[in-house]
Amino acid sequence: MQEQTIPDRLKISPFLIFYVIMAMQIGLGALDYQRIIAKDAGYDAWISIVFAGTCLHIIVWMIYKIAKIVNGDIVTAHMYVAGNLIGKVLSFPFIFYFLLHSLASLRTLFEILQVWIFPTLNLFWFSLGYMLLSMYVVFGGLRTVVGIAFFSLVLPAFLVFTFFPNLLYSNFESLLPIFDHSVKDLIKGSFHMSLPFIGFEVVLFLYPFIKESQKSEKWAHLGLLATTFLYTILAILTFAFFSEGQLQKVMWPTLMMWKIFKLSFVERFEFIGIAFWNLIILPNVCISIWIGSRLVKRIFKIRQKKGVYLLIIAQLGMITFIHTREEINLLNSLMAKVGFAFTMLYIPLLFIAVYIVKKVKKK
Amino acid sequence: MKKGWFQNKNGQGDTEQKNATQTLAKSKDFTKTCYYNQKTNIDFCLTYLTTLVDEKIIEQSILSSLLAGDFHSINDIKKIMPLYDVQICNDPSKIEENLCSGYVLLTIETEEKNYGLIAAKKEIVRALSPPEVEISVVGPKEAFVESIATNLNLIRRKLPVKELVIEEFTIGRLSKTKIAILHIEGITNQENINTVRQRLKDIEFDDISDSSYIVQIISDNSNSPFPQLLDTERPDRVAAVLAEGMIAICVDGSPQVLITPTTLVNFFSSFEDYYLNWIIASFFRLLRMFAVTFSILITPLYVAVLTYHYEIIPHDLLSTLITSRRIVPFPPILEAITLELTIELLREAGARLPTKVGQTIGIVGGIVIGTASVEAGLTSNILLILVALAALASFTTPVYKMSNTIRLLRFPFLLFAQLWGLVGIVFCVCIVLTHLIRLTSLGRPFLDPFYPPRWQDLKDSLLMLPFKERSMRPQFLRTENPYRFSKKKASVKKDIDE
Repeated sequence: MQEQTIPDRLKISPFLIFYVIMAMQIGLGALDYQRIIAKDAGYDAWISIVFAGTCLHIIVWMIYKIAKIVNGDIVTAHMYVAGNLIGKVLSFPFIFYFLLHSLASLRTLFEILQVWIFPTLNLFWFSLGYMLLSMYVVFGGLRTVVGIAFFSLVLPAFLVFTFFPNLLYSNFESLLPIFDHSVKDLIKGSFHMSLPFIGFEVVLFLYPFIKESQKSEKWAHLGLLATTFLYTILAILTFAFFSEGQLQKVMWPTLMMWKIFKLSFVERFEFIGIAFWNLIILPNVCISIWIGSRLVKRIFKIRQKKGVYLLIIAQLGMITFIHTREEINLLNSLMAKVGFAFTMLYIPLLFIAVYIVKKVKKK
Repeated sequence: MKKGWFQNKNGQGDTEQKNATQTLAKSKDFTKTCYYNQKTNIDFCLTYLTTLVDEKIIEQSILSSLLAGDFHSINDIKKIMPLYDVQICNDPSKIEENLCSGYVLLTIETEEKNYGLIAAKKEIVRALSPPEVEISVVGPKEAFVESIATNLNLIRRKLPVKELVIEEFTIGRLSKTKIAILHIEGITNQENINTVRQRLKDIEFDDISDSSYIVQIISDNSNSPFPQLLDTERPDRVAAVLAEGMIAICVDGSPQVLITPTTLVNFFSSFEDYYLNWIIASFFRLLRMFAVTFSILITPLYVAVLTYHYEIIPHDLLSTLITSRRIVPFPPILEAITLELTIELLREAGARLPTKVGQTIGIVGGIVIGTASVEAGLTSNILLILVALAALASFTTPVYKMSNTIRLLRFPFLLFAQLWGLVGIVFCVCIVLTHLIRLTSLGRPFLDPFYPPRWQDLKDSLLMLPFKERSMRPQFLRTENPYRFSKKKASVKKDIDE
C-alpha cells in the first residue's frame, strides 16, 4: 500500500510527536475555553476536561491501530478501505479541514491583537507577513515545521509560572460542591472542549514521516496527557480566581489572569503573553499548511510547493472577509463541530472499516 | 635561449611548454646559468626564479657539490647532493609548476630527457606569537601563523598519534593554495570527511588567499548572516575539537584554521571556558547568552514600548523614561537608529584606523558625541545607556564573525519593532528561529542540541558540566566511537568514611 518511501533524513524522531501534538492542540480555544465549558457544566467543568481527555486517549489508540494496519497515513487508509479513486475522493475534504484549522487559528489571533494591542491593525498586510513567514517555515520541510512546534512550547514555557501569583487572590472553595451538575451537563462541557483539544489527529497524517513510527505512540499519549493536565490546572486556577457570574462576562479569562502578575519593570504581562501567542499560533498554521499541501500533492499528484501557494492564497483571500465578532465565533464553532465530527465520529468509523477490510482481505 | 631553455625537443606538448617558458622568461627574476665541471667534463645549467629560491642553498649545497663532486649524469645528483628534496624526472609538464614553487632545475647538455629538480625554497616564516583575537588568561599562548607547515606541526605535537590523518591538496588555479584536511581516524564520521573533501575539490575560484574565502565558498547556506564554519587561531582548540570528532581545515597562508561541522553554541563558547572550573565556566557562558539576547533585543524593545505599549511600563519607571526624552524631537525609532549607527560608525572607524588613533577616536566619539547629543536634546540619555550597553554586550561573543552577525541582526528587529511593536519583535524572533532551524553545517543541524533536542550535547552548551559528566562525544557529529572514556570507572560511588 505504501506508495513512496520517505528517506530517513526527512523523518522526525518519535519523541518529537509529543511536541507536535501539544503545539497543535494549544492554540485554538486555549484562551477562552474556561468560559465556554463553564456555561454548561459550571464549576464542575474541570471534570469535563478530564473526561474529554480520557476519551481522546482511545481515539489516539485507534489512530495508531489504523496507521499500523495500513502502514501509512489517512490517504493510504482510505485507499485501503475504498480503493484508489474513492480513497482519494474521501481524503479530499481534509484539505479544507486543515485550511479551516489554520484560518480559524489565524483569525482568532488577529482578533486578540486587534482588541488588545492594535485596534487599527491592517488585517491583510499582517496576514500577508504571517503567511510569508509560514511559507518560509513550510518550505524548510517537516523538520523545520516540527522545530517551530518545539520552540513554540519551550520558549513561552516560562509564561506558565506567571499564573502562580494569582493563587494569592484565589478562592478554591468556589469549586465546591463537586458533582453539582448532571452527567448530561458534564458531557456537554466535554463536547465544548473539542475546540481546544483538536490537533492530536495530525498523527494520522504525519505517520509515514515518523522514525520507528510505532514507538511514537507512547509520546502521543504523553502529549495528550500533558495538554489535559495543563488545561485542567488552568481551568481550576481560573475557576478559583473568577466568580461564576464574572467568568461569563470575561472574554478571554487566560489573558485577564495575566494582568495580576507584575514586576518592577513590567506591569501588564498579558502584552508579553499576546506577543508570544504569535509564536504559539505559528505551528498551528504551519502544520496545517504542511498537511494540507501534502494532501494536495498526494491526491492531485502536483508539487507540494504549488499546494502551499494554493492554500496560502486561499487563506489570504478568505481572511479579509471575516470581520465581526459573530463571524469569528461562527468560524470557531464550525471548527469545533467539524473537529468533533472528525475525531470522535469519523475516526472510530474508519477504524471499524479498516478492521473489517483487514479481516476480509485475510480470507 | 632560442631553442627553449630546457633540452627536451621530442615532447608532444612542446609548443605549449615553450609558450609557458617564454612567459616565464619575461620575468626579471628568471635566471638560467650554465656551469662546467672540470673533473668530469660536464656542462650543466641551473634554472630558477631568484625571488623564490634561497641563494645560500644554491651556493653552499647545490653548486659546490655539482662543481666539485663526482658528477657524470643526472642520476648521480642523489648521491652527491646533501639536500633532502632532490628529484629526477622526465615529465616536462612538472617543470613549470615546480619552478614556480621554489625548485631549481638542473639540466645537462648530453642528457635530453632527464632533469633534476632540487628544492631550494626560501622560507619566510613569522615567529609564533600569542593569539590576538581569542585571548586567554589561562592556557597555552601560541597561535597559528601563515605557514601551513608550522601550523600542522603545532597540531601534530598536540596529538602525537597515528590516527591523526592529514590529507593535502592544492586548490585555486592562480593561487595554488595548499589545503590540509585533518581528522582522527576511528572517531570522525567518514561521511563528513567525504563531504568536506568533495566540497573543497569542487572549488573553482582562482585565487584563494585566506581561509575565510573557503568558509564562504563551502558553507551550506552562503546567503545566511550566520557563520557556519568556525575559524580559530588556537592550536589547543583545534586539537580539542579533533578529539571530539570534528574536522579541521588548514589553509596555507592563513593563520586561521577552520573547524567543521559546528553548531550555534560553538560560536558562543570561548576556549578558555575549558580551562576553568565548570561552575565558573557555566556562569560565563550563561552571561554571554544573556549578553547576546540583551544586545539584540534591548533597543527594539525600547522602540516597541515607547512607540506602542506605554501601558506595559509601571508608573514610576514610565515617568523616568518620559522625563529623559521629554525634549527629544524625534520618534523613538529615529532616535534608536541614529544612535545605533553612531556606535557602528565608531566601531568601524576604530577598526580601520591604526591602534593608537583608534583608541582616541573611541574616547572622543563615545564621551564627547554621547554627552553632547544628550545635552543638545537630540537623544534621551536612557537610550544612550541602552545602546552603549548593547554594543558592549555584543563584544562578549568570543568569535569575531558571530559578533558581527549579532550587531547586524539588531536592525531588522528595530524595523519590526517599529512596524508591529512587541508582536513585531516576536515575529522577527520567529523568522530568525526558522532560519536557524533550517540552517545546517555540513548537513548537520546547526541548532543542535536545542533542536533536535539532544540531552547529551546539552552538557557542553549553555552550561558546561564537569569532565566526569562529559563522557560522550557530541551526538550531532555521529562519531564512529562515541565514548571519550568509559564512564563506569569514573563513577564509583563512595560512602561516608570509606
